[in-house]
Amino acid sequence: MRLLIVEDEQNLRESLQERLRKEGFVVDSAKDGEEGLYFATEYPIDLAIVDLGLPGISGMDLIRRAREQGASMPILILTARDRWQDKVEGLQAGADDYVVKPFSIEELLARVQALLRRSGGWAEPVLHSDPVSLDTRTQKVSVGERELELTSFEYRLLECLMLSAGKVLSKAQLTDRLYEQDFERDSNTIEVFIRRLRVKLDPQGELNPIETLRGRGYRWALQRK
Amino acid sequence: MSAVNQKYSLRGRLLLWVSGLLIVFFGVTAFGLDLAFRHAGERAVEDVLDVRVIMLLAAAEPDNGSLSISSELPDPRFAQAGSGLYAELLDARGKALWRSASSTGLQIGLDELPGAGIREFRRVLASDGSKLLALTYGVEWEFQDGRVESFVVQVAENLDGYTAQVSRFRRQMGGWFLASLVLLLFSVAALMRGVLRPLNRIEREIEAVEKGQSEQLGTGYPSELEPLTRNMNGLIVSERQRLQRYRHALGDLAHSLKTPLAVVRGQLDSGNVVDNALLATQVERMDDIVRYQLQRAAAMGSGTLGRTQVDAVAVARGVIEALDKVYSGKKPSHTLELPKTLPFHGDRGDLMEILGNLLDNAYKYCESRLSLAMQALPAGPGGKPGLRIQIDDDGEGIPDGLEEALLQRGARADERNDGQGIGLAVVRELAEAFQGSLEIGRSELGGGRITVVLPGV
Repeated sequence: MRLLIVEDEQNLRESLQERLRKEGFVVDSAKDGEEGLYFATEYPIDLAIVDLGLPGISGMDLIRRAREQGASMPILILTARDRWQDKVEGLQAGADDYVVKPFSIEELLARVQALLRRSGGWAEPVLHSDPVSLDTRTQKVSVGERELELTSFEYRLLECLMLSAGKVLSKAQLTDRLYEQDFERDSNTIEVFIRRLRVKLDPQGELNPIETLRGRGYRWALQRK
Repeated sequence: MSAVNQKYSLRGRLLLWVSGLLIVFFGVTAFGLDLAFRHAGERAVEDVLDVRVIMLLAAAEPDNGSLSISSELPDPRFAQAGSGLYAELLDARGKALWRSASSTGLQIGLDELPGAGIREFRRVLASDGSKLLALTYGVEWEFQDGRVESFVVQVAENLDGYTAQVSRFRRQMGGWFLASLVLLLFSVAALMRGVLRPLNRIEREIEAVEKGQSEQLGTGYPSELEPLTRNMNGLIVSERQRLQRYRHALGDLAHSLKTPLAVVRGQLDSGNVVDNALLATQVERMDDIVRYQLQRAAAMGSGTLGRTQVDAVAVARGVIEALDKVYSGKKPSHTLELPKTLPFHGDRGDLMEILGNLLDNAYKYCESRLSLAMQALPAGPGGKPGLRIQIDDDGEGIPDGLEEALLQRGARADERNDGQGIGLAVVRELAEAFQGSLEIGRSELGGGRITVVLPGV
């Protein structure tokens, strides 16, 4: 999944970026409101983390403008201001949740996961799609009683597909969500990983959890539970 | 405020206005009285002239086919030269047939001969320069042979007496008016002194409060000033409390940070490998302390001066809308018992802080249901209604015996959910700043019930 961090404090921005990348996210970062707005409106961002106290365009304005320009991804506010008035204003401006500074990175990760899940229409941290279940907290995947051994990339690809269960994701969309911009993009890699996932999820070829739609992309085909 | 308004004192302004008003009032009155007096005087002179014309006509006798006045006239002034009372009898062509002895050497003059039966008053400047009021009267005389001829009788009176009388009247009137004006202005000045005395007292008492010589303004002020002094006392008390809370908060902040700092320092000084978990706990503790004290400081910021009227229902709906978003994964169902609008006299941010903290707890701890009820409370002495907030949830509720601990600064009932204790403690601080209260109870929904009462002011 592709995240955007808009934070003017360099140390915080870099440590967040590093940690989120370690968690398997593709991360774009911006140091001020204008850059942030550019990313939020021009890139296929799945979730934005926005600091409210930004130089130039404030975080609140950034959110408002991004929403006006049709950006619909979940937005998480970071704020040093603990007053409810600020939180309520931020949420009313278009944000979806808030984290008050100083925060623990674990708390932030939990909020990010929850928002991503919710935006995909999942209420619980464990995505059940019989017989496959994926725990976003522990990153464990099982088919029925059988636990799967997945590589980090395979897990992220599966999470992407399951979060958007029922929707078609093109190869380009998957590449955007799974690769950093600078990395070499090779759509064949996606095909290879899809094939490997299929084998791991469905060795007998009975479930067919990932549909291929010719010329359009892939779709998680199992029903949500 | 304009410079003029600032320059003049209340007393000066009142005196200026009253003087202006009195001068206009006396001016108009004097003009009216003068006009009435002069009219009356002129009427009196005219009446006298009228009588004299009739008297002359009675004394007129035919003489050689004409008219003449020969007999002795009853008013001796007709006979004295320059007496100021003159008479003439003229024929139809304006030729004098008879003139009183008093008018010897004096020309009264006549512009136009009046027709028969016509009376005409006019002011005339006589040939000697004196001002006269003249009455000319046209008559037709029927002689014994049946001939009818026109004559004119003219009587004139010197106006010197009348003018002197008018001047005398004006002098007297002016004198009296001036005396009254001075008397009235002195009365107003004295009145102002009396009226403004309580204001001077307020000034003295405020000065005493400023110098720390007294706690607040005294009582026994006139009923018009009573609300002012009452409000000022309220302001003084609330500002004093605020200052005290500030001092305490600052002290609390400094002291409460010392313990975790001491622990961290101990770790650093021990020479052992730094215990990350311990450091994390202390950092979190310091964060809690700072957050709590910041929220308290924010709550103290508004004081009495920050109070405005806000619609509590709109604020509550804003908070609920925001929390619905945050807890959209949990989606608890809520029952709202709210009127259409509910005026709340206070700071919007404070009310949002109260509702935000309480509702956030309810959303966090409920199983699936929560409710919010708000209603107005009777107005206080200042006529501003109070507010009662009740929030229920169907969670586990607050365990007996933990209520007090929760209301203590920053204490927590449940380590998993950070902020619960801080939230409640902040709300209680806020409620107390509004002279209100917070109560923890059991809800019919099965969980906790928090009731906050903010009395009217």
